[in-house]
Amino acid sequence: MAQESLDATAMKQAAPPRRRGLPFNVALVLPAQLTVLAVVLCPTLIVLWLSITDWQPTSGVTWYQAEPVWHWNFYDLYFDDRFIGALLRTILVVCVCVALELAIAIGLALLFLEEWPWRKLAVSAVILPMMIVPVDAANAFFMLFNERGPINHIISLVIGEAFEFSWLADPDWALLPIMLAEIWQWTPLMFLLVLTGLMNLPENQIRAAIVLGASPARIFFRVMLPLMAPVIAIALLVRSIETFKIFDPVYILTRGGPGAATETISMFMYNGAFVYFRMGYIAAAGLLVLIVVISICLALSKPLKRHHG
Amino acid sequence: MSSDKPWLVVLKRSAVILSMVIAFFPIFWLVSTSLKPFDEWANWPPIWITDRPTLQNYRIVFFPEAAREFAAAQEGSLDYKVSGSAWKSFQDSAIISTLATFFSVVFGTLAAYSVVRFRTGGENYPFQFLTVRMFPPIAVVVPMVAMFSVLKLSDTYFGLILAYTAFTLPFSIWMIRSFIEDVPAELEGAAMIHGMGQFKAFLTVTLPLIRGGVLSTALFIFILNWSEFLFALVLTSGDVVTITIQVANYVSASSGKLYGVQAAMGSVSTLPVILFGYIIQRHLVRGLTFGAIKR
Repeated sequence: MAQESLDATAMKQAAPPRRRGLPFNVALVLPAQLTVLAVVLCPTLIVLWLSITDWQPTSGVTWYQAEPVWHWNFYDLYFDDRFIGALLRTILVVCVCVALELAIAIGLALLFLEEWPWRKLAVSAVILPMMIVPVDAANAFFMLFNERGPINHIISLVIGEAFEFSWLADPDWALLPIMLAEIWQWTPLMFLLVLTGLMNLPENQIRAAIVLGASPARIFFRVMLPLMAPVIAIALLVRSIETFKIFDPVYILTRGGPGAATETISMFMYNGAFVYFRMGYIAAAGLLVLIVVISICLALSKPLKRHHG
Repeated sequence: MSSDKPWLVVLKRSAVILSMVIAFFPIFWLVSTSLKPFDEWANWPPIWITDRPTLQNYRIVFFPEAAREFAAAQEGSLDYKVSGSAWKSFQDSAIISTLATFFSVVFGTLAAYSVVRFRTGGENYPFQFLTVRMFPPIAVVVPMVAMFSVLKLSDTYFGLILAYTAFTLPFSIWMIRSFIEDVPAELEGAAMIHGMGQFKAFLTVTLPLIRGGVLSTALFIFILNWSEFLFALVLTSGDVVTITIQVANYVSASSGKLYGVQAAMGSVSTLPVILFGYIIQRHLVRGLTFGAIKR
């Protein structure tokens, strides 16, 4: 307390006489704020306009002169199976990937918790996937799941007969390589988060539980997991938000195909805007997605806030 | 836990080894494919490690003459168009990523300092920047294309630098904020008692103390910029080529039949990022959780 007031007087003494114009601290945030406004606020305003038009750049009309169609884009979206399908598929991908990432990460982190020789090096080795450029990771999975790739080779060796299945061309299976690529790349991040959380746990409580004779499983579920809750909440939040945007592996592996079988929301919007050039329609879809994401984030940002405070 | 039974130890060690194998396998395959000669690219059964390693794929990536030679030799079997040297994409990515990183870190440091020491904008203000990261970029891509076409920013360095700076600012502000918070304000106060201005006190006292943190933040943001794909895909159309675009071009070039070449490009383009990633390994957790989890 005393230090704080000393600090406050020091600041008061040293504060330069207020000049005309902006206070100094506001001027400091200005460059960051203006950049964000230019790249986020302006487009958001433009989205509001585009979403009520039927702008298609191929028609030769510039976007600000496009004819408004008012609510019809939203009406169409509501009945667009491809849009709803992409939305549901994205939610499925988020749930499957994030859940598996967390499960594997907790398992791995427990293996790495105790001291053993070469542990540090092993951690560095296991987190290699998250260091890779996502497009290159997708590129690698593109080759792995090729009909003449090593995955089919391994399956052939196991079942003992030739297996040349083209994963990426099959509507029922093409989503699997995409999700595996995502899980492969981002489980290491989840692992690092969980490991950090586990290492920061107060040892006394765990030791007390051991002394009291609790079984390892019981210690894990009744002592460690509850203490880990804030870390796990942050990990889930960060990964869910990022996975919801999934684009790179989808674009590289299938471009949403075959048909629309692997279209996630980002891929749906890319195809709509830059393959079919229905900019107005996609702007409306983007607006809906923005509203959904922002409201989810507002609801979920509480754990992050609490942890910081 | 040291009282583990031997079979349990064996099981645990095997699990660790298995996870390492899985972590390495796709990268092993990428590198191994990049060293294969043309006739082994699509062999069945696939060749795991070639007996005739060659650097030809790397030459095709970097030297247009080699690419032209190759295309001529494969006339009829491949509709491979020579798309110019990948040097251009490395150069473009380096320029864009470096400048965008610079702006993001400088703007981010100033804003973080203001937020920590002046409580500018109140407690909720920094969260406003976080929402930028929560935005799915695809949702702002359509209006950005519209805006950039009016401002003549499409397919320019400046356009991508602007986009990258804005979308990495949440990371730089939150990461550097967490580093500044680790330095007690009294240190700056002490310098100010000796007559130093507050901002000068920050520059001469705090900034040197968090130098390592700021550098890690910069490398972290460079990685993000170097790896970015969606904005580059949408906001460029040939004049500016980033490495991610170049990789995607190879993958889609002749419906994915250029395995060796695309693997060579993939291996080289990811190298700097792996290097930087391991340099800042200690800070990765802090970065990817916006400073929420420290080590």
